[in-house]
Amino acid sequence: MIDAYIGLLVLWPVAAGLACLVLRAPALRSMLVMATAAVLAAAAVGLATQAPLTASPAFLASATALHVAQAASFLFPVYFLLMGLKEKHPLVIVFALLQLGLAAFGEFGLAAPAEVKTAVVCDGLSLALVLVVSLVGSLISIFALPYMKHHEEHLHLKTSRQPQFFMILLAFLGFMNGLALSNNLHVFSAFYEATTLCSFLLIGHDQTADAKKSGLRALWMNSMGGVFLHAGILLIQKQHGIADIQALVSPALWTGTTLLPLALIAMAACVKAAQLPFQAWLLGAMVAPTPVSALLHSSTMVKVGVFVCLRLAPVFEGTSTGRVLTLAGAFTFLAASALALGQSNAKKILAYSTAANLGLIIACAGIGTPVAIAAGVVLMVIHACTKGLLFLCVGDMEQTIGSRDLEDLRGMIATSPVTALAASAGSMAMVLPPLGMLVGKWAALEAAAASPVSMVMMAVGSALGVVCWVRFTGTLMSGVSMGSKADPAAHTSSLSTGPILTMLAGAVGLGMAAPWLNAMLLPAGVGNALGGGWGLMPPLFITAMLAWIVGIKVLGRQSQAKLATPYIGGLPSKEAGSFVGALGRNWTLSEGNEYATEFFGEPKLTKLAGVVAVALLLALVGGALI
Amino acid sequence: MNLNTFYLAVAGLILAPLVGGLVAGVDRVVTARLQSRMGPPLMQPFYDVGKLMSKVIAPASHWQGMFVRWALVASLASDVMLAAGADVLMCFFVQAASASFVALGAFCGNSPYSKLGAQRELFQLLAYEPVFMVGILCMAKAAGAFDAYSFMAAQGPLLFKMPLIVPGLLFVVLVKLRKSPFDIAASHHMHQEVVRGVYTDYAGRDFALLEIAHWADVTVVLWICSFLWATSPLTMVVTAGLFLFAALVIDNISARLTWRTMLGRVAPITLILATANLVWLYLE
Repeated sequence: MIDAYIGLLVLWPVAAGLACLVLRAPALRSMLVMATAAVLAAAAVGLATQAPLTASPAFLASATALHVAQAASFLFPVYFLLMGLKEKHPLVIVFALLQLGLAAFGEFGLAAPAEVKTAVVCDGLSLALVLVVSLVGSLISIFALPYMKHHEEHLHLKTSRQPQFFMILLAFLGFMNGLALSNNLHVFSAFYEATTLCSFLLIGHDQTADAKKSGLRALWMNSMGGVFLHAGILLIQKQHGIADIQALVSPALWTGTTLLPLALIAMAACVKAAQLPFQAWLLGAMVAPTPVSALLHSSTMVKVGVFVCLRLAPVFEGTSTGRVLTLAGAFTFLAASALALGQSNAKKILAYSTAANLGLIIACAGIGTPVAIAAGVVLMVIHACTKGLLFLCVGDMEQTIGSRDLEDLRGMIATSPVTALAASAGSMAMVLPPLGMLVGKWAALEAAAASPVSMVMMAVGSALGVVCWVRFTGTLMSGVSMGSKADPAAHTSSLSTGPILTMLAGAVGLGMAAPWLNAMLLPAGVGNALGGGWGLMPPLFITAMLAWIVGIKVLGRQSQAKLATPYIGGLPSKEAGSFVGALGRNWTLSEGNEYATEFFGEPKLTKLAGVVAVALLLALVGGALI
Repeated sequence: MNLNTFYLAVAGLILAPLVGGLVAGVDRVVTARLQSRMGPPLMQPFYDVGKLMSKVIAPASHWQGMFVRWALVASLASDVMLAAGADVLMCFFVQAASASFVALGAFCGNSPYSKLGAQRELFQLLAYEPVFMVGILCMAKAAGAFDAYSFMAAQGPLLFKMPLIVPGLLFVVLVKLRKSPFDIAASHHMHQEVVRGVYTDYAGRDFALLEIAHWADVTVVLWICSFLWATSPLTMVVTAGLFLFAALVIDNISARLTWRTMLGRVAPITLILATANLVWLYLE
């Protein structure tokens, strides 16, 4: 049964994707996508009932499978190389060649590693990623159905490119599941490269100049990450002669030896997780259709990075490599939060906030205690849900009004109330107690007690995040002083509001379930080391529920009330949008947020933060080298 | 949770806003004396709120009533948490949630002054939150735990271990009491540049409830400051009183700063001092 679940999780989406390519009718495609969503959800839940478990399904464990993985380590770089040659992109070519060289060295220059005991190990961490991929990823795929229809209508394409799009989208989910479950480093790295390939193809999907450029940027950055990863894997093979991930993450293996291979793998993870200074590829990814960014940000790609770090975390506990990783993660949390605050582009706000939150998770991984790891996994799951929700909302609003600038989204609550409210709730879930993101942040802060500098960076980053998201919500819900631009939403599809509302329920529900998730993730015997503890949460939930009920009752009462005339320090004049104010003059009213660009401006801050981040990553590798 | 904690929590729920109201009364009396005026009676803030409660005024947004109540619940909850000896860091986050709700209600309003005030309120939040948090981290490091009872049970006054967080805490008190030079988001009088800023669009019963939430906030902030010398209840009250008095004096001798100065100068300086203190505690 377990083998069947794993087979469905990994192979079904790939097969369904190929079917999408062959069966080009839209109705069939919708059915395939929805069937995949149902299968993935069922299989993931089925797997969850059996976890923790080990298994060796034939398609991941057999000699053929290992040969395929071996071949993949050549085929992916060859494909990247061809792409680089075709587009004349030197960086892509260089990193593809390096990867090929490493693959050849691994094949012919090193003794084969000891056989891996079980091909699949599913513990709390892998299960968390599988659930995120299978549930959140599936919802995003469903949302993509109406979205891509509109998207292509807008682009006036002669032949639909949706079959390719959905093929990659679905296959991506399968590869992610494979990556989460595989216990063999070589199989893992094959899936890892597959996600690089998928993201490259998805980002470049629209084939505009911008899309191509962003796609290639994602490709060269992630193949650079691939070089780090392969180098790390080969070093492990040389040092210890193993490829078994479970054996690898036991701290006993690493006593007295250099942590360099793990530092290299952590570096690769930082690229995937768009940590500073590698954030550029994730920012570029927003040129792609919204479902792609939603997928990359919430359930796939970037989650690979934090997954890898959390996987290695037990080894990092108490080491200087771990301490530097904590500093690097906390620094990204701080700097990316500051960058988010200076942005008015809603998707950039989301992108920087993703980098920031992943930084927090990586900081947890660097700390490496069971408490910190559990907090990191909780953050990973809840971030996936919340960020997926926010991306879908912003994408929906963007399709409605044709802009993603926060200033244009002002007062969106009048135009598309459901989406705007869902977005508001989502952004509140990012920062408010007692919901999961805040609770995770709190747990991370208290777990970081050994590192005062990280704690201060987390404190500042946390304040920046609160301001950013409250302003985001406030702008969406902004009241109207003069005139009204409200026209009800042009299009609504149950296929787009359905996933949004489900995701909202998930984000809030999981946010509330955070303490229990945390308790499940802690290994038996680890007492709750947090002062005051997660035990505080249930009373806070009850309080929040009561406040919610009271608030909604008052809302119901007030929503009938006639509103007061706006106070504008003058009298409305005949011309629209203006009033007669001081000096008897006619003043035009215009509103806008203060983005404080002298403090949080992108060009200056990116440079400054980039320098610090590079220094920290050099310290990560250099420190392990010495 | 034993019965004793429960009684303390209930006491916190009832007493905290009352203490905050008294602080507001003391504030007005002392300020009047500093300016050689008679000033209103001590209980004036309570009379004001009583009168506001009876007013029915058209709201400026349908959402404000909801946000006001959420802010009130969050503020009272943070007091209750302190009284029940819960995690001080979480108490701080709950209190920050209250400030966020106040700003959100102001964003929903229809006056541009209200939205301007909300923006400034957020910048204030950004300026004082980190230093406040680092102050709490210092206390937690010295006390060895994050819960309020451990803070109060610490050996000897915490002040001598963390003198450098005092400027930061004073800054927090000034901002939270909406005192000059940091009355940036909301002025006490409506003839000033921001009118009443973040409060512009709140009126009637909603405004009365917001005022009670504000009292509860003030209590939390002064309470956390009083941890600096928590050897007995009396020393705690005196410490809080000193912070309050210092804030009132500064209010009367200074003029409003801009949010740029607050965010670019005051916040980094106090934060660096507090961070230095935190690092120093680790080196000890």
